[in-house]
Amino acid sequence: MEPSPLALDQNISGAAGDLPALLRRKGLLGPAAEISPIANSSTQEKAWQPTQGTTILAFKFSGGVLVAGDRRATAGNTVVYDRADKVLEIDRHSIMAIAGVPATAWEMARVLEHSLQYFRRTQLQEMSVDGKVRALSKLLRDNFGFVMQGVGIVVPIFATYDDNSKPDARLYFYDAMGAQFEATNYAATGSGSPAVRGILYYENHWGAKPLHQLNEDEAVTIALRALDTAAESDTATAGVDRSGKIFPLIKVVSREGITTLPESKIAAVFKETVA
Amino acid sequence: MIEEPYRWVEAIANRREYIEAQLAPGTPITALGYRDGILFLTLGQRRQKIFEIYDRIGMGAIGHPGDIERLRMAAIELASTEGFTRSAADVSLRRLVHYSLSPVMKAAFEQVYGPPYLARMVFAEVGERAEEDLFLRVEYDGEIATNGATYAIARQDFAALSGTRQSRELMETFLKDHHRSDASFEGAVNCAIDAWTVGHISLQATDSNELPPRDAVLKYRHERLATSGIEAALLQRDAARAIRYRCLSDTELRSLIHE
Repeated sequence: MEPSPLALDQNISGAAGDLPALLRRKGLLGPAAEISPIANSSTQEKAWQPTQGTTILAFKFSGGVLVAGDRRATAGNTVVYDRADKVLEIDRHSIMAIAGVPATAWEMARVLEHSLQYFRRTQLQEMSVDGKVRALSKLLRDNFGFVMQGVGIVVPIFATYDDNSKPDARLYFYDAMGAQFEATNYAATGSGSPAVRGILYYENHWGAKPLHQLNEDEAVTIALRALDTAAESDTATAGVDRSGKIFPLIKVVSREGITTLPESKIAAVFKETVA
Repeated sequence: MIEEPYRWVEAIANRREYIEAQLAPGTPITALGYRDGILFLTLGQRRQKIFEIYDRIGMGAIGHPGDIERLRMAAIELASTEGFTRSAADVSLRRLVHYSLSPVMKAAFEQVYGPPYLARMVFAEVGERAEEDLFLRVEYDGEIATNGATYAIARQDFAALSGTRQSRELMETFLKDHHRSDASFEGAVNCAIDAWTVGHISLQATDSNELPPRDAVLKYRHERLATSGIEAALLQRDAARAIRYRCLSDTELRSLIHE
């Protein structure tokens, strides 16, 4: 007899606190994609094109970590959506911002979000920063087979705040294979990221103040200018839609948790210092 | 043995007696609906007794730690998989208890060759409005007691759990008289501690089935608060956040207690 999906597990399976493993056991999450050794040259070429049509940036400032993303979703050279949320809250103090294939990215964020909560509930303690960073890395690694096949590349940024870690504000960027890199000051991902990285490097070294000393308004100014610059040459990045009044999504993670900056505030800063 | 109905009934009765004796020293736990949500509270300093199950669901349990752990894990697994595959709004306490926990606990209890669950639990789910709050008590034999939100029963906005039936009933009597659903947080904390005290006194003096006098409650409660930690958690009605469950620390509560 097939066991009821609601049957209690006799061996305390939650002891590892691993939600993806639980979901796989119940057939609710696909297995990790296998990395095919015989990918032909054309798929390989396709697989390695870093075409994530978006721009995501994050940097540390005096009030925590700011994470910003434009709102455009593209398929090839078509704009399919102009209000996509690519800056996602994972838990009270963690943000994952995504560049890449939306279906995979959102699913990954969903798995990560539920995994961290599942861990806290079963293990009766919060997962450490290293644990969270590693959990995302594992999801990327599990997805790498799809990346090799040319579908489902995701290159995220992860920002978190933890009083018990040093430094308390942490920022990580990843490659598609799951390697994590901790950023000291800033990180950017997506097709518009080369321009953004240039701006953030410049501002951090020769700007009026280094990034970590900026106040919130100044930080929003830099973020908007950077996204607007990226959009200037990258068709996959929307920057600020002046006519449609669609502004980038900006979130700040700090000791108090995550704040989503209201559109009115972003609009005011934009009008004052960017437009 | 199970071919003979009489022997089976006898075996079940013995088992019930055994489990009741095992659970009898269990410390009381109260769950109270108040103005801004639901408060779980108990006193003690040994094992954790109040747990987060899902965004809007909390659990309090007494019994054998191994059994509590298995049931807690099962509840979290079910809620998490449902919340992941559908949505957090589809996770419901009613379904969790009625369709999953209760049948399994009943089966374990009645299969006399296997081990029963030595546990008794109280669950609460916070709704968008106080009328949507749900309190369920689940016994070791799968029996479910609601807070009366059903046909022909007046609804109650609290639930009590204790080692003995008498202790629990006294707590319920006390709460019926003293608890108000529009109580402030401070009021709810004090009422929950009083109810705990009533339940705990009853566990010590098993012959009395009347509420202890007020000064006896205050004296006992004062002694216990001096030597025990307060364990408490909230399910907040605050719709702005998805996860409503929040642990409260002992220090957070001490200043609110009326001595």
